[in-house]
Amino acid sequence: MTNILVLGIGNILLGDEGVGVHAVRQLERENLPEHVTCLDGGTGGLILLEPMQNADKVIIIDATLDGGAPGTVRRLQPRFSNDYPKALTAHDIGLKDMLDAFYLTKKIPEVVLFAVTVKNIDEVTLELSAEVEKVLPVILRLVKDELVV
Amino acid sequence: MARIVVDPITRIEGHLRIEAVVENGVITDAFSSGMMVRGLEIILKGRDPRDAWAFTQRACGVCTTVHALASVRTVEDAIGISVPRNAELIRNIMEAALYVQDHVVHFYHLHALDWVDVVSALSANPQSTAGIAQSISNWPKSSTGYFKDVQKRIKTFVESGQLGIFANGYWGHSAFKLPAEINLLAVAHYLEALEWQKEIVKVHAIFGGKNPHPNYLVGGVPCSINLNEVNAINSERLNHVAKLIKDANTFVNQVYIPDLLAIAGYYKDWGAHGGGLSNYLSYGDFPTNGYNEPTSFKIPRGIILNRDLSQVHPVDTKNADEVREYIKHSWYKYGDGEDAGLHPFEGETEFNYTGPKPPFKNLDTNGKYSWVKTPRWKDKAMEVGPLSRVLIAYASGSTEVQDIVNATLKKLDVPVAALFSTLGRTAARGLETVLIGGWMQGFFDDLVANIKAGDTTTFTQEKWEPSSWPKECEGVGMTEAPRGALAHFIKIKDGIIDNYQLVVPTTWNASPKDPNGQRSSYEEALIGTPVANIDQPLEILRTIHSFDPCLACAVHLYDPEGKHIHEIKVV
Repeated sequence: MTNILVLGIGNILLGDEGVGVHAVRQLERENLPEHVTCLDGGTGGLILLEPMQNADKVIIIDATLDGGAPGTVRRLQPRFSNDYPKALTAHDIGLKDMLDAFYLTKKIPEVVLFAVTVKNIDEVTLELSAEVEKVLPVILRLVKDELVV
Repeated sequence: MARIVVDPITRIEGHLRIEAVVENGVITDAFSSGMMVRGLEIILKGRDPRDAWAFTQRACGVCTTVHALASVRTVEDAIGISVPRNAELIRNIMEAALYVQDHVVHFYHLHALDWVDVVSALSANPQSTAGIAQSISNWPKSSTGYFKDVQKRIKTFVESGQLGIFANGYWGHSAFKLPAEINLLAVAHYLEALEWQKEIVKVHAIFGGKNPHPNYLVGGVPCSINLNEVNAINSERLNHVAKLIKDANTFVNQVYIPDLLAIAGYYKDWGAHGGGLSNYLSYGDFPTNGYNEPTSFKIPRGIILNRDLSQVHPVDTKNADEVREYIKHSWYKYGDGEDAGLHPFEGETEFNYTGPKPPFKNLDTNGKYSWVKTPRWKDKAMEVGPLSRVLIAYASGSTEVQDIVNATLKKLDVPVAALFSTLGRTAARGLETVLIGGWMQGFFDDLVANIKAGDTTTFTQEKWEPSSWPKECEGVGMTEAPRGALAHFIKIKDGIIDNYQLVVPTTWNASPKDPNGQRSSYEEALIGTPVANIDQPLEILRTIHSFDPCLACAVHLYDPEGKHIHEIKVV
């Protein structure tokens, strides 16, 4: 059985920046197959190496400021840190370094990243913007499609 | 004269920008700027104080547990709660586990590459590395074959064109002094530490229910103890913790410390650079007889002035004449004007950005140039962090601290004055890791003894209900985060938060000048530092990284551009 980790990344104090955490919190309330684990990764870096390497496949939901329309969701398969989309906000170095750490420590799970384009973050708030709130169901559906192995 | 800009300077969590003026190969002026706005306080106002820990710990992905700890202590201090003995021990174990993980990760993954040349490791003779490794430690992974394999792994990674994690190094810089063999040793342990740190953080999941962001609770800890219950802290989980602590201490004593000493031996000249301020502050931590008895703390509370180790001054964070924050050079506005200093109970968080519109070349450092406020103790600038803690413990008469410090000075054959430096700061971090790892074992043994004696209490319900609280009250929650003195200040009115302010370690160290023109730790520590090559200001990284900068909680919003800028302007 393939063990899948769904990892929501972001800082919920910064509005849209926390979209990954909001998504994973919603997802874990659903009835998920036994081989699926949900984790609110917060802005954690190295601390996430262990749960990521324990999985065969890691599905990351993260925020990006890539200049696109807010609410755009892109599916990416980054292999190295350089493949990680530019301008990931709160945690841009910590998490992408995990990808290199996989190679250096010789345990490499498959990584699928759903990068959600967020609005520029200029205030401290727990709320998502309307554009990003609206795509939460889309993100959840995309993630669930990924769970079928 | 050249003006160097390094931005961002941290490898993790938050953006810090340093501008330094170099004249004749030496830094003559420096400006430290946090480039993200701060404002967690705004979210907390009006909330239930018992929930504050869950928000404050989100300020940072690295030291989550200390923000949660400072927060529950703040509320307990305000409403007058003393936590049960087991809760104190479990909180200490969790904090000690954070220290050990954080300091090892800082050394290998955030700081070592300022001293260790990864590329040089590729040309090392693995057999010689094995010889060195075996001569300095009993750590079993030290064969020629092992180092050959590591070298091959690094080579494959570098040749793949994906420097990634190693991308920002100034490889080949003339300030790198280690022989290739020791570079290989350090890189091998860089990789081992990546694996190692996965284990020790499990302590947080066991006691705090999850990781990252473990659970805390006002009045105790949110785990129940029952040796035979599946879902409680039971015998199996305690045995697991015992093993994690033992393995962590083995790594610290057999890998971290021998490496630290081996590397330091080649950089003794850094015992004369990066000293900076001469005042040191520690709030103290690891209580053994309640938060209100600082004399029982394993890390003592106090202040050292002018590097005078014969006297430790008391500190009272509730005194409005002692701790004040200034905004003369920070992008905020105070009702009482630019030169006012406010005690955190009366703290204000009104933004006032006057800096240039990004992207820009230089900040106007005569005006406001940072999102970090400037804290002062009796209007004096203070260094916080491992060096402060070790010096204050040394001066307070702690024999275990005096013994380990004196033995290390002797081993390195450097004078006491070498403590006040970049080298001293990095060494102090290692030495306190040894001590804290030992205390962690002690806290654990005490916890087990308590449980065996029949005490399984982890929480006090007394004063849980807001109806039992005073109508208005205020409190301070002090901790020593791995990076230094951390305090949360709360004012509670009618059961909800009326004001909440965080004065975090990196605020003390990374802040801009105060209204009197006094520099804070980073800026002061850079003055006089030699810079061999202004195109590769490795020396700036060494000193700033020795403080373990983390701006994530000093400032709370993030600059979208994550790229490493390093610009030089000849003026």
